[in-house]
Amino acid sequence: MTKTRIAIASALAAALVLPVAAQAQGNTEKCYGISKAGKNDCQTATSSCAGTSKKDAQGDAWLSVPKGACEKIVGGKLTAAKG
Amino acid sequence: MPPALRDLQAAFAAQLVGRDSADLASAVVGDSIPADARLRVYRHHVGHSLGAALAATFPTVQALVGDDFFQAMARAFVAREPPTQPVLAEYGVEFPAFVAGYEPAQGLPYLADVARLDWALNVAFHSPATRRLAAADLAAVAVERLPSLTVGLSDGAALIGSKYPIDRIWHASQPGTSTDAVDLAAGRADLLVLRRADDAFFVTLAAGEAAFVAVLIDGNALELAAAAGLQADAAFDLSMAFARLLGLQAFAALQQDGDRKVVKAS
Repeated sequence: MTKTRIAIASALAAALVLPVAAQAQGNTEKCYGISKAGKNDCQTATSSCAGTSKKDAQGDAWLSVPKGACEKIVGGKLTAAKG
Repeated sequence: MPPALRDLQAAFAAQLVGRDSADLASAVVGDSIPADARLRVYRHHVGHSLGAALAATFPTVQALVGDDFFQAMARAFVAREPPTQPVLAEYGVEFPAFVAGYEPAQGLPYLADVARLDWALNVAFHSPATRRLAAADLAAVAVERLPSLTVGLSDGAALIGSKYPIDRIWHASQPGTSTDAVDLAAGRADLLVLRRADDAFFVTLAAGEAAFVAVLIDGNALELAAAAGLQADAAFDLSMAFARLLGLQAFAALQQDGDRKVVKAS
């Protein structure tokens, strides 16, 4: 192995043990029934994406909230209600 | 003699996207409502539905130009590129290129790049949540083999580069954001679009990271990608970049030899 290659190999190996903040998933939950009309996060069962809910507290529109927060909010549900 | 069914269907399809034909109108029975008015109902409905579908797929473009401008642009697009398949969420792949050439939008040079970002988010959102590469999976690989390893991006992932700060433009266009002015001179942005459990999102990459990812997308080994990262940015930190991408679950799980055997056997 060349010097560069050894350096690359060890840099890649070092990456495997670096602590990384869990960015992709994990610390939030979907909270249904609490979003203001037009302020929902992506997505509801009947519309494709963020900001498309039509009324306040729509049962199938959700906001992403920190884990554990949803049950403390009035009307907040962890599962979608129909329509 | 009435027109052949095939000709009638072709004329109807053409009428829907804006090309009238006298033959078609004469083949439609019109009593209280004239034939051409009856046909316009269909044209209006198709245009409206596809315009709404495009607005759902390109929400940031719509937020930037407003409803009226967006719908006019969508109608022009629908007339030129009618859907070729029935899934509305898969309609609009040509829209960013269309926006780039759309004369009335030339005052917003970044608009086509924002459309590419919206499209990539849409694709990521609808892609399957397949298994991702975790740091633990690579612990089994001998260190000296790591440089020659090829890792592919996860399903739905895409690298979107723009001369303009489209990440800031995107954030400023979200509903409810206070619209701080975005300085177009802030320069280029390289974004990595990814699927996560519930939706799609993007992160902004540094120049070295973007070069690293671009070389991996082309199917090259980590060693070559590392060299490209260093070339793009002398301060490129391979360990930090690779750890960040692993943490983002940006890579697809490694192809196992065992998996291939199973596929062959079935």
